[in-house]
Amino acid sequence: MKKFLAFLLAMLMVLSLAACGDSGSGDSNKGSEGAEPASDPKAKDPNDDGVIRVWVGEESAEFYQKICDQYVADHPDFGYTIVVKGMDTGSVAGTISQDPQAAADIYTVAHDNIGKLASTMCAKPFTDQALIDQVLADNPDSFKTVIYSTYEGESYLYGVPYISQALFLYYNKDLVTEEQAKTFEGLKEAAAAANCKAITVTGDDGFNMSFALLARKVSDHSTTVKLFEGAEPVSGGSKGVSNCQGDDTIAIVRWLQDYAADPNGFKWASSDGWEADFRNKGVVSVIGGAWHYNSAKASVGEANLGIALIPTFKLTDAAVEGLSGVKAGDEFRGGTFADCKCFMINLNSVPSKYEEEQELVMYLSSKEVQNASYLEVMNVPAYLGAADFIKQCYEEGKVTESEYSLAAMQVGMAEWGIPQPFLTGTLNTYYYSKNGPAVFRAMIDKTAYPTTGDQILTETESLDGIRKGLYLIEYLWMHGVAPKEFPATLPTVA
Amino acid sequence: MGSRSKTAPKSHRVSLLERLRKKFSDMGKRFADGSPGTKLSHFIFGAGNFYHGQYIKGLLFLLIQLGILALMIFCPSVNDTPYGWKSLANLSLKNVTEGKMDPFTGKVMVSPSDCKLMVLFGFVTIAMIFIYFLVWNLNIESSRKADMDLKIGKKPTSFREDLRELLDGKFHVLMLTPTCIAATVFTILPTIFMIALAFTTYNTQDMNDLGTKLFHWNGIQNFIAVFTGEGSLGVEIKNRFLPVLGWTFIWAIFATLTCYLGGIVLALLINKKGLKGKKLFRTVFIITIAVPQFISLLAVRNLLGEYGPFNAMLMNLGWTSQPIGFLGLNTGDSERLAKFMVILINMWVGVPYTMLMTSGILMNIPADLYEAGRVDGASTLKMFRKITMPYVVFVTTPYLISSFVGNISAFNTIFLLTGGGPTYVGYQAGGTDLLVTWLYKVTIDQGSYNTGAVIGIFTFLITATITLVTYRRSKAYNEEDTFQ
Repeated sequence: MKKFLAFLLAMLMVLSLAACGDSGSGDSNKGSEGAEPASDPKAKDPNDDGVIRVWVGEESAEFYQKICDQYVADHPDFGYTIVVKGMDTGSVAGTISQDPQAAADIYTVAHDNIGKLASTMCAKPFTDQALIDQVLADNPDSFKTVIYSTYEGESYLYGVPYISQALFLYYNKDLVTEEQAKTFEGLKEAAAAANCKAITVTGDDGFNMSFALLARKVSDHSTTVKLFEGAEPVSGGSKGVSNCQGDDTIAIVRWLQDYAADPNGFKWASSDGWEADFRNKGVVSVIGGAWHYNSAKASVGEANLGIALIPTFKLTDAAVEGLSGVKAGDEFRGGTFADCKCFMINLNSVPSKYEEEQELVMYLSSKEVQNASYLEVMNVPAYLGAADFIKQCYEEGKVTESEYSLAAMQVGMAEWGIPQPFLTGTLNTYYYSKNGPAVFRAMIDKTAYPTTGDQILTETESLDGIRKGLYLIEYLWMHGVAPKEFPATLPTVA
Repeated sequence: MGSRSKTAPKSHRVSLLERLRKKFSDMGKRFADGSPGTKLSHFIFGAGNFYHGQYIKGLLFLLIQLGILALMIFCPSVNDTPYGWKSLANLSLKNVTEGKMDPFTGKVMVSPSDCKLMVLFGFVTIAMIFIYFLVWNLNIESSRKADMDLKIGKKPTSFREDLRELLDGKFHVLMLTPTCIAATVFTILPTIFMIALAFTTYNTQDMNDLGTKLFHWNGIQNFIAVFTGEGSLGVEIKNRFLPVLGWTFIWAIFATLTCYLGGIVLALLINKKGLKGKKLFRTVFIITIAVPQFISLLAVRNLLGEYGPFNAMLMNLGWTSQPIGFLGLNTGDSERLAKFMVILINMWVGVPYTMLMTSGILMNIPADLYEAGRVDGASTLKMFRKITMPYVVFVTTPYLISSFVGNISAFNTIFLLTGGGPTYVGYQAGGTDLLVTWLYKVTIDQGSYNTGAVIGIFTFLITATITLVTYRRSKAYNEEDTFQ
């Protein structure tokens, strides 16, 4: 009997190990919304459970659930219950890509993910003509060029814009005057008075680096930086022209190197996060987006939160030394990627929902809902002419001054930015994932950067080192991998 | 001794070959000498048992054969990935497809290949083939045993008798079988799978960027990249593997010794004769154990962080104008300071454990040993060296070894205190990253499972070699049976 018991215990031990395994069904989509509605008895397809699941940004989930509930109440013949779930905007595209079957029927991502999600069978094109007409009528041309993707050579609409996104400046009004917030030099002056740093960014990825890399000359909005310009947005098509080696870019890198080295200049966000830097008066300003508004407000309080365009800066003598294309005193404004966030339909969604899904997206991307989303959760509308509505809201007292500034500055920054381009499912992501931002950071920090093989990019403070670094970034944009070796003579672009 | 160790492997090789030859010869003899049932059981499992009237046993063998053969022939699928012979063909990862779906209805036209499952099922099928031959041999042996029983006039054992034997003479088989199965399923197969990944292009971030769900075998390219420094994988490993490995060992040695010695000193102080409030002191130190480790570590991280009270105090006193990176939380912070601090802070969470254990040991050292020492005129220091330390070290050596091994993979302390920082632009591995935290970053954060597997294999080779050499040279191995 004792032996039998011992055997049973051994089995129990083994089985308990097995029980530790994941027995999940993989339907993460049904996660935290609470009780799932019962299946609709009128469901058209055996796999159609009568529920349309929608993923939106975490900050907007409550708002969109309310809007959707209202939509279902107003349209009794719609036939579906809608469940909205908030997801982390930064990682949602990766989540969908890894397991599209578990993703929602309708999801929202930044437009630069459209190509990738379409090519990996995670997205379904929009075919409803009324919806397509609405998208074409409502959106600026810059967005229209980046919401299409191709399938077997045919171009289809895959994303419906509903939020515009651009970087701008948050500053602490307690430490910085409105005038000081207009220039990087003014911020430095304010930081010196507060014995801290002038400015930080919310991350060191490609999107945030755009404040420096896409900076434009104030006098004519020009920059020599080209990112796949003139490329054909078809799979296997031309990659277009990229340039990152202009004299203005070199001068900007040099200027930022000096600005970062200054005890009251630029700093990268600390490991505690930019919010801690801002809250603890480690910096007087932060470059961020509308999605950082609540955190910024919580850090310094709404009364102290100032919002402005990304400031301007003047090139110094040291920054332009040895360069012919720029001169000391040239004024530049920090740049940005001016993107849009889009609704997309999951290709793995049950086909019988397709019509209703498009109907719902048409409603959720309508001007009325975009406006309501601005008023309730500060999502800046993507449609053309949204600036007028934003101004009107302020004049009518529907939004506070900082809420108005937030939208106005973002719209204002759109004039200084470009949408992140994508050509195929992959090319746009080279910029992000293939170390370009890390090279840029190494140059700003004046540290060495390992490229490939035995090559290490050193002397990043010298003109030659900067030229090599920018050549490396340009090469990464075009090829996704570092070059085997640097050319003997690097091209010069005035 | 030396000549013996030189000749031993050769003789071992010869005997292995001979054993194999003998094994095959025995198998041939077994077939030739066996009863018709035994002969038939070479082709039909359980035939020999049926022949000898052992129907239940025979049926079990037959079911196993039919089950494995059905699996091999009919190739059942999980997520459109088959087991059986098809999985062996799939193991090459050559006939793979991204799949094709109708772009409007989502209807699957061509199922996408799941490379992960293909590799896994391939190895599972190889394991099944191995099991098949194992059971094949068992079923013949079972029949042969019945033959032998009949030869000596015994009746072949019944199923009930076999079961009873499992609870008696073969109890060890009964007990070890579940454990062996569990070890195969939960340890050996995953280990083989992870080793296999080192020879593939399985990097989820790259795959995600390139819009593919497929990966391929790439031979030893990942290993070559380590030496050539090609690609992000090669650059990372070539430049950071040795520093991280070196620091892992330094950390393990210092973290173990500081906590060990600190605990002993503390225990000696607390157990000092005439000290008042011993219980209070012990309780105070035990409280640090009662507080969950991650809370203590996070509290210290906040205390010493860039905006923590300690930095604020230093700046308010005017001793420094900029926050000091005690924990190397930012790029450019001092790596040495961060390393020193994590070892120091680790004492805070590690010393009380040794103190507690050593206190118990000290209280149990026979008082007559000290009495005898005093009679012989030994000084306090001498008694400490000759009585206390040997006693404590003898009892705590296993703890010391397990503590060292545990510190090699002390994920919590490093991850919660410094996150591996200070970081270096262009690398995943920071200044205080241990191999285990580095592996976490490379695999979980970056999705580079092939890189992680390469690092894991190198780590295993190095640590296993060091462990083996150290152990072979230790007294524990060479003087195993002598009293220390």
